[in-house]
Amino acid sequence: MNTAERRWIFADLRARRAQAALTVLAVAGIVTALITAATLLEDGTNPWRGLFTRGNGAHIWLHTRDAPDPAALRALDGVTDVAGPYRGAPATLVQGGKKTPVALQEMAPVLPAVGRPIVREGRWLDAGDARGVVLERSFARAVGLGTGGRFSVIGLNGATHDLTVIGLAESGDQGFYPEWTPGLAWTLESTLEQVEPALGRSESVTGLRLADPDDTSLVVQRTITKLAGQVQRVSTWREVRASMELDNRLLGVLLALFGVAGLVAAALAIANATGGRVLTQRRDIATLKSLGFTRRQVVRMLLAEHGLLGLAGIAAGVLCGRLITVYALADTVVVPLSSAPLLAIALGTALVVLVAVWLPAWRGGRTPPIPAAPVAPPRGHLSHLARLALLVRLPPALVLGARDAFTRRLPALLTTFGLAIPMMLITIGLGCWATLDAFRAHPEQVGQAAALIVRPGSVPATADAGRPAELALADPDVVAVFPGTEVDALVPGQTRTVRARAVGTVSDPYPYSVVEGRMFRDRGEAVAGQGLLDLLNVRIGDRTRLTIGGTPLIVRIVGRVLEPEQDGEVLSVPLDTLAPKDALPPQFYSLALRQGAEPEAVRARLQGQGLEVSQVVNPADRLSVIRIIIVALVAVLALLGLANLLTASAVGLRDHAADLAVLKAMGLTPRQVMATLVTGTGLLVVIGVGAGAAAGSFVSAGLIDLQGAASGVGAGIGRAPTPAMLLPAVLTAVGAALLVALIPARRAARARVPVTPR
Amino acid sequence: MTTAPSGPPALQTVNLVKIYQTGGLPVPAVRGVDLRVERGEFVAIMGPSGSGKSTLVHMLGGLDTRTSGEIWIDGRRADTLSESAWAILRRQKIGFVFQFFNLVGNMTVADNVELPALLSGASPKHARERREYLLGELNLTDKADEAPGRLSGGEQQRVALARALANQPQVLLADEPTGNLDSRNTRDVLRLLGQVHRQGQTIVMVTHEARVAGLADRVVTLLDGQIVDDGAVAPARRRKQGPGDVVELHG
Repeated sequence: MNTAERRWIFADLRARRAQAALTVLAVAGIVTALITAATLLEDGTNPWRGLFTRGNGAHIWLHTRDAPDPAALRALDGVTDVAGPYRGAPATLVQGGKKTPVALQEMAPVLPAVGRPIVREGRWLDAGDARGVVLERSFARAVGLGTGGRFSVIGLNGATHDLTVIGLAESGDQGFYPEWTPGLAWTLESTLEQVEPALGRSESVTGLRLADPDDTSLVVQRTITKLAGQVQRVSTWREVRASMELDNRLLGVLLALFGVAGLVAAALAIANATGGRVLTQRRDIATLKSLGFTRRQVVRMLLAEHGLLGLAGIAAGVLCGRLITVYALADTVVVPLSSAPLLAIALGTALVVLVAVWLPAWRGGRTPPIPAAPVAPPRGHLSHLARLALLVRLPPALVLGARDAFTRRLPALLTTFGLAIPMMLITIGLGCWATLDAFRAHPEQVGQAAALIVRPGSVPATADAGRPAELALADPDVVAVFPGTEVDALVPGQTRTVRARAVGTVSDPYPYSVVEGRMFRDRGEAVAGQGLLDLLNVRIGDRTRLTIGGTPLIVRIVGRVLEPEQDGEVLSVPLDTLAPKDALPPQFYSLALRQGAEPEAVRARLQGQGLEVSQVVNPADRLSVIRIIIVALVAVLALLGLANLLTASAVGLRDHAADLAVLKAMGLTPRQVMATLVTGTGLLVVIGVGAGAAAGSFVSAGLIDLQGAASGVGAGIGRAPTPAMLLPAVLTAVGAALLVALIPARRAARARVPVTPR
Repeated sequence: MTTAPSGPPALQTVNLVKIYQTGGLPVPAVRGVDLRVERGEFVAIMGPSGSGKSTLVHMLGGLDTRTSGEIWIDGRRADTLSESAWAILRRQKIGFVFQFFNLVGNMTVADNVELPALLSGASPKHARERREYLLGELNLTDKADEAPGRLSGGEQQRVALARALANQPQVLLADEPTGNLDSRNTRDVLRLLGQVHRQGQTIVMVTHEARVAGLADRVVTLLDGQIVDDGAVAPARRRKQGPGDVVELHG
């Protein structure tokens, strides 16, 4: 690049610092939003990564009969550090009459350097409090214990000990309950000694931290050889990670959509900003060409200048993304985004920026080299409508402004689109928000009629299978109880099983939300989620053959239901369709509650009666991260709209520089001139925002349904934003836009207007 | 006449034609112009508005394409050149001065003057020296760091002249250089043009003011795109410049 080109680029950047900063900011905003979203997604679907890093976890856990020599293990090739050995013992947790197996593990009051549990609530073990234990958080939730909760454990010798929960912790060394059993409780050495005095009935747990996680299996083999027959069980980080991983495709699809939408908006903003700048610079570019700049040089300069701004934005965005991860999300996210998605975001945005800049740069390069050539003079005459408007004494400023808005068709169109697209995306974002609200307010409409699930548990129900149902029905807030069973079904031609759920009977079916076809009315009929229909490649009305526990079963799929679980790969049949051996006794009872009842309160009441009750996770809870992203996205999109608007005002002012003198000469006051200019921009704003909002609410439900279908839940979940949401958004957008248009208009109206160009 | 005794002419056109297409109708602007400008010559092109004089000078500098005919610059045929070849030719051999100065508004006076030298590959040091010399000659040294917008019209046109001369071009093309100036600034700019002409600079200047054209060695008059008069101006008359000198005789 030539010195002359460089000098021109720097001079131009200096001359329009604010505009350049806005471009950088817009790109940085998009990149930051994308990185934050991707980080949250990665962390949300793979919580192991953060837990393991924060807790400095051990890659391998050895369960041995006797405590191995830590020094010998540390000396093994590839092992960098050793956690433990800790003594561990099995016990039974008793709470409210129901028993759950639990693994007790001793830990010191001082947290170790390797394999450190992360305390989420309450505090860590205290040497002065021998009754205090810390529970693994997912386990504590499942058994309904919180900080301060009391329970007892029964050791293998039958003695009962009363303990108190002093804290809840998470660990990257233990998977989540119930995928990973038994649940874990950390205790002091003395407490463990009391519960299990016999050394012979306890085991030793030792963690190994490796230099290279890929060496895991090799080190496991070496250790087993080294400890010669002592090793009873080994768990590795891979198993822990697998037990924690969530396959949340819906979240992924939503985020991807936001990402693409954000990129499109960014491309539009940059193309608009560059295009507007090039348009206002045509005279300068012509001068440069008359001095001997070639077309290629002009294109290169424009590409370099505007591309550099974009790249600076990307760099700033990557930095901001990191900072947000480190500071703003320090509590939720520990590990920054891994490099592959980060690189994809950076390169993707760079590509979008360059493509968006290229077209205006190319057009700039084609500018004819005659600087005096007028830039396609705005033409137009007063239409009949305008004459009529003047005749009925509408303020002339309004009429002139309205006329100005459309004299240059292409920029008017670009401005309208530049505002309509961010507004449309904002509306779609609001639609997502409304959908989440609907999930929460009416879970029965998204396939979650039951808020609570009662499991018969081990103690009282075996004798009398119907008892939990009766107990539950006795509660005033419980409207209906549906016995149910979930089994794995083998499908011919599939290498894996699918979930078959049998809840409710033919005569008393579970209230599924059927969105296509009909509910089952007979034995041998079934309804399914979108995911299953896609997986088996069947349609409503088709018959399908499955094997459940060795018993073949042929069902006809008569309807599609919204299925928030298992990516929609669930087949729902009436309980009486299953063979009695599979159906009886029911594994659980789904409880439908009275509208407005508090699931928490009902659960507490039922637990008080000795039932094992768990609360169904609302899909909206899992998607709550989307709300943060929607807010961030709205902010970024507003920024993009602002950038578009500033470009529009700049181009508008340039077009009207000559008119202003004429208008003033005609006797318009500065206020009227200002009103003319604001009307000119404002009309486009109103049209753009209105069109964007209308298009957004029109497509949002359909688009969310599309995402729903792609994620297996199935179409039928999408909601358009409510008017109460949309109206303030539209008014805010228009109001802010008018304010922004007012500032340059005010300045222009007051400035002394030159009569000659330059 | 300060015409160089030998070598090809600085500029030559053969039957040059320019036809604009306006709304599908052909509008001839230049209709078969044969013009020969020798080295060191100062030619004024006169004519009423719309006579094609600006179009002619734009074509001579490659800013506009010709419809037919030939353009020779320094013995080389130029009308067949591509757009970028024209650009390179302009950097090396042609300087332009426009009616509305056309300084790059974002750049300082110094940058504006250095731009052509830098563009043609001169080192920043050489470009600066040349700029200092030119601005010194044109009495603008103290304005070097100003933005062009803060200068008076006359000063701006002097900067434009300095910029046009930065690469010591073969030909200086001036399109109504005084059209936007008051009489004092007009006099200043004309004095400068005369000065560079005496140093051997070939100049082709478009003007519709007879008084301005009087400065040239030769006046070519265009009417409706054709040369209707081409004659030398008596050297004696050129010395006497002043407000009283308004009666011109042409054709």
